[in-house]
Amino acid sequence: MKKYKWLICFAAFFLGSCKRVLDLEPTDKLQASAIFGDPQGVKIYMANLYYQLPIEDFTYFRQGFNWNSGDPNNGGFAPAMATDEAMHTEFGDFVGNDDFQWWTQGYKLIRDVNLLIDVIPTLEISEPEKATLVGETSFIKAFSYFALAKRYGGVPLMKTSQIYAGNADDLKVPRSTEKETWDYVFELCDLAIANLGTDKGRRASKWTAYALKSRAALHAASIAKFGNLAPLSGDAVSQKLVGLDASVANAYYKLSMDAAQAIMTSNQFSLFRPAPANPTEAAENYRMIFQDPNAASSEAIFIKGFTLPGTNQGHNYDIWYQPAQLANGWPHPGRMNPTLDLVDAYESYLTPGTSAPVVTTADGNVTDYNGFSAAKTYIRYDNTNDIFKDKDARLWGTAILPGTSWKNTPIIIQAGYVKPDGNAVIRTKDQITVGSETFYTYGAPSTTQYSGFDTYGGNNTRTGFSFRKFMNQNAPIIPGWNQGTTDFIEFRYAEILLNYAEAVVESGSGDVTAAGKAVNDIRKRAGHTVDIPLTSANVQRERRIELAFENKRFWDLIRRREFHTQFNNRMMHSLLPLQDLRALPAKKYIFVRVNVPNTNPKTFETKTYYRYIPGIGSNGLVQNPQY
Amino acid sequence: MKLIHCVIFLLCSFPLLVSAQQRTITGRVIDDVSGSPLAGVTVSVDDSTSNIPGTTTDNEGNFRITLPSSARQLVFTFIGKTPVTELINARSVINTSMTTADSELTGVIVVGYGSRRKETLTGSVTNISNREIQNTTHVSLAQKLQGKVAGLQIRQLGGEPGTFDNMINIRGFGSPLYVIDGIVRDGSSEFQRLNPDDIESISFLKDASAAIYGFGSANGVVIVTTKKGNKGRATFNYNGVVGFQTPTDVPRMANAAEWIQMRNDAALYGTGAPFVTDDEIQKYIDGAPGYESTDWYDVAMKKRSVQQQHSLSASGGNEKTQYYFGFAYVDEGSLLRSNDLNYKRYNLRSNITTELAKNLKAEIFIGGRYDIRTTPGDNFFNIFKGTRVTLPTEKPYANDNPLYPAVVTPSNQNPLILSDRDLTGYSETVNRNLQSTVALTYAVPFVKGLFIKGVAAYDLNSYQGKDVGKPYKLYSYVNNEYIASPQRVGTSSISNNYGNSNRLTFQAQADYSTKIGSSHNLAGTFVYEQRQDWNRDAGLRRLYEFYTIDQINAGSENNQTNSGTEGRSASQSVLGRVNYDYKGKYLLELAFRYMGTYSFPPESRWGFFPIVSAGWRISEEKFMQNLAPIVTNLKLRGSYGEVGAFDGTIPYQWIQGFTLGSGGRYEFDNGSLTNGASAPGIVNPNLSWVIAKTSDIGIDIGLWQNKLTIEFDIYRRDREGLLAYRNLSLPNTFGASLPQENLNSDRTQGFDFSIGHRSRIGKLQYGVSANFNYARTQNLYVERGPFVNSYDRWRNGTANRYNDVVWSYTYLGQFQNSDEIANYPIQNGDQANIRELPGDFKYEDVNHDGVIDDRDMLPLFLGANGTNDNQNPSGKNPKINYGLSLNASYKGFDASILFQGAAMYTVRFSEVYAEVLAFRGNTPAYFYDRWHKADPLDPKSEWIPGKWPASRFNGDVGSMYKESSVWRKDASYVRLKSAELGYTFNPRWYSGIGIKKIRIYATGFNLITFADPFVKAFDPERLEGLFNAGFNYPLTKTFNFGVNLNF
Repeated sequence: MKKYKWLICFAAFFLGSCKRVLDLEPTDKLQASAIFGDPQGVKIYMANLYYQLPIEDFTYFRQGFNWNSGDPNNGGFAPAMATDEAMHTEFGDFVGNDDFQWWTQGYKLIRDVNLLIDVIPTLEISEPEKATLVGETSFIKAFSYFALAKRYGGVPLMKTSQIYAGNADDLKVPRSTEKETWDYVFELCDLAIANLGTDKGRRASKWTAYALKSRAALHAASIAKFGNLAPLSGDAVSQKLVGLDASVANAYYKLSMDAAQAIMTSNQFSLFRPAPANPTEAAENYRMIFQDPNAASSEAIFIKGFTLPGTNQGHNYDIWYQPAQLANGWPHPGRMNPTLDLVDAYESYLTPGTSAPVVTTADGNVTDYNGFSAAKTYIRYDNTNDIFKDKDARLWGTAILPGTSWKNTPIIIQAGYVKPDGNAVIRTKDQITVGSETFYTYGAPSTTQYSGFDTYGGNNTRTGFSFRKFMNQNAPIIPGWNQGTTDFIEFRYAEILLNYAEAVVESGSGDVTAAGKAVNDIRKRAGHTVDIPLTSANVQRERRIELAFENKRFWDLIRRREFHTQFNNRMMHSLLPLQDLRALPAKKYIFVRVNVPNTNPKTFETKTYYRYIPGIGSNGLVQNPQY
Repeated sequence: MKLIHCVIFLLCSFPLLVSAQQRTITGRVIDDVSGSPLAGVTVSVDDSTSNIPGTTTDNEGNFRITLPSSARQLVFTFIGKTPVTELINARSVINTSMTTADSELTGVIVVGYGSRRKETLTGSVTNISNREIQNTTHVSLAQKLQGKVAGLQIRQLGGEPGTFDNMINIRGFGSPLYVIDGIVRDGSSEFQRLNPDDIESISFLKDASAAIYGFGSANGVVIVTTKKGNKGRATFNYNGVVGFQTPTDVPRMANAAEWIQMRNDAALYGTGAPFVTDDEIQKYIDGAPGYESTDWYDVAMKKRSVQQQHSLSASGGNEKTQYYFGFAYVDEGSLLRSNDLNYKRYNLRSNITTELAKNLKAEIFIGGRYDIRTTPGDNFFNIFKGTRVTLPTEKPYANDNPLYPAVVTPSNQNPLILSDRDLTGYSETVNRNLQSTVALTYAVPFVKGLFIKGVAAYDLNSYQGKDVGKPYKLYSYVNNEYIASPQRVGTSSISNNYGNSNRLTFQAQADYSTKIGSSHNLAGTFVYEQRQDWNRDAGLRRLYEFYTIDQINAGSENNQTNSGTEGRSASQSVLGRVNYDYKGKYLLELAFRYMGTYSFPPESRWGFFPIVSAGWRISEEKFMQNLAPIVTNLKLRGSYGEVGAFDGTIPYQWIQGFTLGSGGRYEFDNGSLTNGASAPGIVNPNLSWVIAKTSDIGIDIGLWQNKLTIEFDIYRRDREGLLAYRNLSLPNTFGASLPQENLNSDRTQGFDFSIGHRSRIGKLQYGVSANFNYARTQNLYVERGPFVNSYDRWRNGTANRYNDVVWSYTYLGQFQNSDEIANYPIQNGDQANIRELPGDFKYEDVNHDGVIDDRDMLPLFLGANGTNDNQNPSGKNPKINYGLSLNASYKGFDASILFQGAAMYTVRFSEVYAEVLAFRGNTPAYFYDRWHKADPLDPKSEWIPGKWPASRFNGDVGSMYKESSVWRKDASYVRLKSAELGYTFNPRWYSGIGIKKIRIYATGFNLITFADPFVKAFDPERLEGLFNAGFNYPLTKTFNFGVNLNF
């Protein structure tokens, strides 16, 4: 077709050059040399890698990570709602097959980081700078493979970047065993630890690498130790692609223990405000850690920042989980409803070392969920939160309890009243005038004045509790998407202490005294004054309480293989505060323990301990059991 | 182009004719209805290849023409009139009359880079004249064409003023290319905003004849030719129309009494406890004081809106210079009571043709447009949603005090407030558009039939948008107090956006035509074309900490953002065409386009595309002479062409690099973001054109002097190398997706036909014409990973299947009682059937496995799943489009009626219109006819059946919303699209005062619709819109009154 070109030139001679017209250049592409030659350029590329890190923060939902793009309306179903920590105001769902997947995105991050690893040796930068890059890339890769291993078991290990030369089959890499995968995670952690510096900051350091190793090794050790509680079968099991031998448990616990100990003995970190004067102060201290992690820098090992609002920057915790009364025009607040099950788990200062379920009746029965009956004798309280009086400070810092204040507003959570004649009105909008005073089902006349139980807009809690942890008390709600700017702590010192304690108690080796101290230090910070012994149950309760809503509970139930026994046709529970008008003129409240209204029981299938592997049609991998 | 061509012929043929033997003919041309003289009629010899000059009639309708003695007939042509051919037969005086044309059955038709006489056309091209366009009144040009052209698919997707939300599509191919006065201009939006009075005619190239335009023309080409002036005294034309619009229909929402009962049902079936007490419900039913129902539609929307359109044009000229000037003004109001949603448009056009020197003609065409669309501070979707979901138990103002707009449930979408720009702010979009073309045509002396033409066109579009979102307060009235609820706290903002796009086109063209011997006609066209586009846009935004004034500088400097992009593109082409015919009987056309684009690598950016078409005019054959009285015209024609398209191709894919701005952002330091760069993907240096191969076979029949005409075409377009990603077959552990490759293919095929009949009975002239088009697209090859099993192939395969299939459950009816539910196969997955109630929908267990799940779905419907972007809802388009128009004139009266219809497609709403109590807000009144308990409070009471299942929230229903015939509805419809009745006053009454013609008319648009009763309320033609919610602006029914003045 070349012969036509002279024709064009001929025809175009009076229009000027015909050669350059089509030679345009793109306006958004850069060559590798232009990026990696300078630390600032590396930082530009690192931003994209860190952004993709599978950090289970405020933008982590069942749909995946970074769920804060333009219109991230997913109903606000948080990972906590897939555990026994919380219920959604409207949804009753549980863990679906497609939830919490991270496969394609994971391998994208691994490719992106491998591309950088490939060019490190060729860069004209100093050796220490190269070492830092090696450490940082190893940390990112370790983080990625940990996220893959805990979801899928053994996965294909892309130790170097793959090159596509036209044949897709050449790219197929079989799954490594689960053990090989975990070992690779630890190997990468060690590489990171060896190369990274000790500077604290928001990029990877020796400490973040230790923290990651401590968490990952504890996960692997637990699977080895408890895997036989939920046996699976199939090709993936027989090829050891999922599951670990019990024999490796103690070695992994040791890895976790040692990594935690490296942090504990570094004197770089400590608990934030470790010795409060009283439980009230303890509750506030605890809340402060999460409202602004930067102010709790002694405890925060790795922070993911959300300082600027906006698409792909801010998050939506504030607008989804603010109590209805403070929605400020946002149509869908109040979605996070902490369960009575979680509330029950907190200790009372009166009975250290055991959970203290909320007692509502004179007979002390805490397993009766049959609802209000005029025949039962309920304990009467002066207000809607007296009943929690001696509970652990962290409950007060985690949940908004009925009648407590939030942003200087008393949060009214009431489910109804018992009429003087003994008939109750529960969860039906009504009012009654006794004498000169009018009483309302939900504690106030207008929907804008209460936060509980009315099904009106799906904005009111149906468990009796609203959400406090992570919420910013100082900032008003901005009724728009991605306006939340509270930072998230991915690794904090309290978790390291708990990792250490768990590794010691589960492996039966290590420094029992130091482990016991670790647990009791955390309890002291929460206002406890009585030490409790180091037992497996105490460590687990402490994890559940201390790390509530930090998206750890889900993985704790997974790795310890407790999910299927904890969730076997299980109902979640609510606490209904009722005003008892039989006591008039005295203002008294009673409480009724019930199943969360309008929900179905939840059952965890054992196959769900591993996610299914997507795309086996083209990647040729062995599928996980029972998918 | 027609006139240009004539003028070219005239100018160029003078020197060549001096030697011929000549004679002179005179005569007069009048209008056959009014009898008034027609000025500016072109009179020429009927011989398209000769260079005999024509002439035009003067103001009295008189002409004088000199001809060679060999000339046999004269042709009279005039815009808007049916051409007349008179045999000379030795006459020296020829008087004739001309009839107003409804379509130009014969005459010159504009095709790519030239024009053809209709008889010798070998492609499938339909032409529509100004008169036929103008007998429908609408702001959008697209709506004036709907139903009038065979194979032209138009669908009104929404009716919002100034959005021009119409799908325009030729033969089901996709968005066509728009050529205005010979230059490829911007798409449908620019086309629809033309002043229709400026248009002389529009040609639709439907088959391979479009391919000569190259880029984008695989979907057909729309060629608009604007009016040029005629020699003679200036004539003025004024056309004014005023009318009002009402929605074709809007579904009624439940009133307070209906809503409270459904809401109470939902509470009972959901939580087990009633929502409110019986006493309360009764008060709503009785409408007790304080319990009145609010009709939110009526609160925010009026019954009718007003539109007006005015245009004024002047045309005329002398021997050397002719001009046409047009000016138009359009004002379209909206149904909002606030009157804050409006569209205004001004069009100006100046088309000047002049002879600069001997043999050198210049044409300067300039079209300008200014249009402005204003909307209140929230978009129509949200305002309309407010009229749908806001509870009828609530009021627009707290305590009915107009100073305090009320907080409303569920989403604070108080439509009255959202539609008020004084309260919520506004948004304003201004477009300024300039299209300019300069063309020089040189008739090369000494080479008979050779013309050289150079064209330069520069177009500019400037866009300016401004959005002001004011903070405002809503109030609730509690305990004798107004409690303020501030809205847009922290999000109140102002933004200004600017865009500027430019296009420069050069064309160099040579035309040559000759006659070899007496039988061989040969013509050739050769063109070089170059097009460059560049654009730049930028936006500024600031938040208000405290709202002061709607100026960007008044916003806070603390949180300001800006953004901008720039882009360039370019293409070059060489194209050519050769036409040959033997005695006008055997026709052959060969053409090609060789073109290059910036978006592919230098080695592969050029492509060559051939086109061939041929025709056989059987009616010209000797053996047809016996049939001549009946068969006036019979032509068989066929065409085949290839064209390269690169729509949807991301340019520069062959260049590897790290991409800025597309990576994630991360905060390495508190309060400071780092914008990430993303890793390079895999590049595909072989990326190339999508090749479309179009073929068409057609037949044209004209019987009884063309009183009955039939055109039938059957066509197919195969596209190869459609862009697809090889993702699915690459292991998903690789970590990058493959670049676009030319992998897929598809096929669109169908047929269209039109039948027309026109005749005259005494003074009654009438015409009937009908057109029909059926088209459907199927995928041929579809790239994807291997199927896991044969079921997977059956269920998920798309190759070699139509692209518009929707899988659905088979709806069997409603459960009549709980026993039936208990014994029925499980149709709600894990929840078994515990959430199903009597009255709920039951589906067929197609595979008889006792469970009704995804495996029981069948391909039952034509349509497309998912929400749509309102732009190109390809699978959603009707497969059948048709129109029937009737027109008649009698003495001064004229009338036309157009029926238009579409079939073979479905609509499926989501959210409010297809979910009971969606968003916990108000719900359509039709859901009130529902299954419910005789005594809501007594669970043991009898069920009372209804049309819909018992009212429940989404979380409490079983499989009620699964895809089935309950929700997906056939949207086929027929409607009386437009009707016009006009009267032209007898010119004798007013010719004394200098007025030539006064015509008044009344028109109606979208007058009557026949469709499925459920769908009709939504208007079947309208698209479901964003989220499939049906909240886009209603289509409107319009009544207009107009006047047409010539002076």
